[in-house]
Order: sequence, then C-alpha cells, then structure tokens
Amino acid sequence: MAELFSPGDRVRTSLADPPHHTRLPRYARGALGTVVEHQGRHPLPDRRARQLPAEPEPVYTVRFAAAELFGEGDHTVTIDLWESYLRPAVPEGIR
Amino acid sequence: MSRINDVGGMQGFPPVEQEADEPAFHADWEAHVFALNRALIGRGVYNLDEFRDAIERMPPQEYLASSYYEKWFRAITTLLAQKGVLTEEEMAGG
Amino acid sequence: MSGDHTGPAATIAARVRHVEGLLEQRGLVDSQELDRALEAFLARASPANGARLVARAWLDNGFRGRLLADGNAALPELGLSMGGGLQEQRLNVVENTEDSHNVIVCTLCSCYPIALLGPSPTWYKSEAYRSRVVRDPRGVLREFGFEPGPEVKINVWDSSAESRYMVLPRRPAGTGDLDEPALAALVTRNGLIGVAPV
Repeated sequence: MAELFSPGDRVRTSLADPPHHTRLPRYARGALGTVVEHQGRHPLPDRRARQLPAEPEPVYTVRFAAAELFGEGDHTVTIDLWESYLRPAVPEGIR
Repeated sequence: MSRINDVGGMQGFPPVEQEADEPAFHADWEAHVFALNRALIGRGVYNLDEFRDAIERMPPQEYLASSYYEKWFRAITTLLAQKGVLTEEEMAGG
Repeated sequence: MSGDHTGPAATIAARVRHVEGLLEQRGLVDSQELDRALEAFLARASPANGARLVARAWLDNGFRGRLLADGNAALPELGLSMGGGLQEQRLNVVENTEDSHNVIVCTLCSCYPIALLGPSPTWYKSEAYRSRVVRDPRGVLREFGFEPGPEVKINVWDSSAESRYMVLPRRPAGTGDLDEPALAALVTRNGLIGVAPV
C-alpha cells in the first residue's frame, strides 16, 4: 500500500472528535499543514487501543503555522500523524 | 470525545516549575511502577496503546490531581482488573 | 510502619508493593527481574549520551550529517542505541541554527527518547508545559530564562507518534579550544529538549 502523501504536499487533518483513543491532538483538528517527511509505517493506535486488527499505515511529519492552529503566533508546530488522520488539501482558489 | 490528556493549547495552567537536579525517580514505588508497566507490556498483558487509553479514561479531576506515576499506577490497576488478571478487591488488599 | 495496604488511605507505595506481590504470586512478574531491568535501564540511558552525540557532531561534520540523516544508524558509532526498551523507536535529531530553534514536547502524554536519555524531567510531563509550549513557545522559553531573538524562527515538535526527538543545540561561541569531553559537559538536558540554548 503506497504512501498517499509526499514531502511538500498540503494536507488537512480530520475534524473528527472520536470517542476513542487517538493521536491527533484536538488543537490540530481540521488544520492545513505541509508534509515534511515520511515517518515510517505503524498500526493505527486508535484501533490498537481497542485491540482491533490494525495493519501498519504510513505516518507523516506534518508542519503547521501557529496562526493556522491558534490564530496567532509566529512559530510552527510539527506533528507526527497517521495517514488516517489526513486528507489531501483542496488547492487554494478551487471552490 | 476530547479527553483530559489532550491539553495542547489549553489555557489556565500555572507556570512551568523546574526542580533542580531532580532524580530519575522520586521514590522507589515510582521506579517499580515504571518497571512493572514495561514487564506487563513485554508479557503482552496489555499493549502500550491500551495503557495510554487507560490513562486518558481517568476522570478529569483525578487525572489533573494525580502525579505522573500515580496516573500510571491507576492505568495499570484499571487494565489488570479489566483483563481479569486481578480483581479490585484483591488489589485493595481485601 | 509501612502503612496499611488496604483502601484509599493506604500509601501509594504500599499499594504498589501489594500489587507487585500479587502479580509475582501469579507468576506474571519477578521482582528480582524487575530490579535488574531497572538497573540496566538507568545504567545505559542518561542525558550524558545526548551530550556525547552533540559534542561529536560539533567536532565532526560528517558525523553531524549522519546523525541528522538517520539518528538510529549513527548512534552505534558512539556505542549507543535506542534499543533496550519495549521496541526500538526512530530517533530524529533536529538541529538549531542561527535563525531557527527547535523545542520538543509530547502534548498528549510525555513521549521522550528515554531509551537514550533516561526518564524525562517532571516538568516535561506536566500539563503546564504540554499545554503552553505549542501555543506560546516564547513565553515558555522565557520561563526557562531563554529568549531567542525575534528573527529566530521557533518550531515545536509534538512527538505524537512512534518517533522520538532530540535537539542538536548550536555550539556556543568561544569553545574552539575545548576537547570532546569538555564540549559534552556544556550540553544540558534542557538543551536537548530545546528549552535552553545548549
């Protein structure tokens, strides 16, 4: 199963508020970021925590502007995210 | 549902407190909790994701009032009871 | 003397001993093995390991490149490894530069390269640090007495998956005469996390 995303790709994180364990922090939900690099393949912890079968899936290092996450700040926050937490970002200018 | 552990960006916590020259563990029991957790995961009694999940499911007030290894011990006992390894009564010493 | 091990009034130490005893009776743990594993872990893992890596990287540009490209592959050059724990995790070393500074956190729990550096400081695990550093890293660094200039771009790494992060601080000015051990002695745990310049 090939990686969906490559370094440089723009991605948007899921907006979901799951009732179970997850490793997408709430401050980064529904946020636009840029893939920095691949970070290996690992089983999704959301499923492992419930002892559900989980095949390894790609994990990505994704960088976000603080302004995107918090509405303020001149720094960036880089988070390691499973592919299940990410969607391709719609290119700007396309409705 | 967002859980109490998911504190990134949350407001209202006090300034960060540093302890000079702090030891790896502040008490023997902390070291034992650390070692116990490794041993139980190593033996497959539960996995690391289940362990984190158990910490996250602590009632918020308890989570915030507990020290780091108190949280760990709480999660370990929760999982041991859930998995039927030990009963709450046994662990309470009864 | 050691406290009643029953009910909520029992000290946590007594409760831990009690549960460990029960698990030992069930054959699930062995107290001596626990002690051995603990000793072995504390003997091999400490911030001094990180300091040695940093000093070598400062002196040897080839090593610096290898460390940044693949931390796990470079560690054995100094007899170090990320193994010895539950599972060997990927180590990402991130470099501070003149115009960029890195800070490490795990907002969701307290993930940290403990296999290499030993246990993290208590403050690193605190809700205070975990909540604030992603939102206001300059404010948190100020609490640590460190104020990078406004031209320095700060990046906060939230160790939310299986990889673990360590900062490669900048070599301080005026250290040209120092040998490797003396350079390593300059590197603090706080510097490896990114709340101090070195």
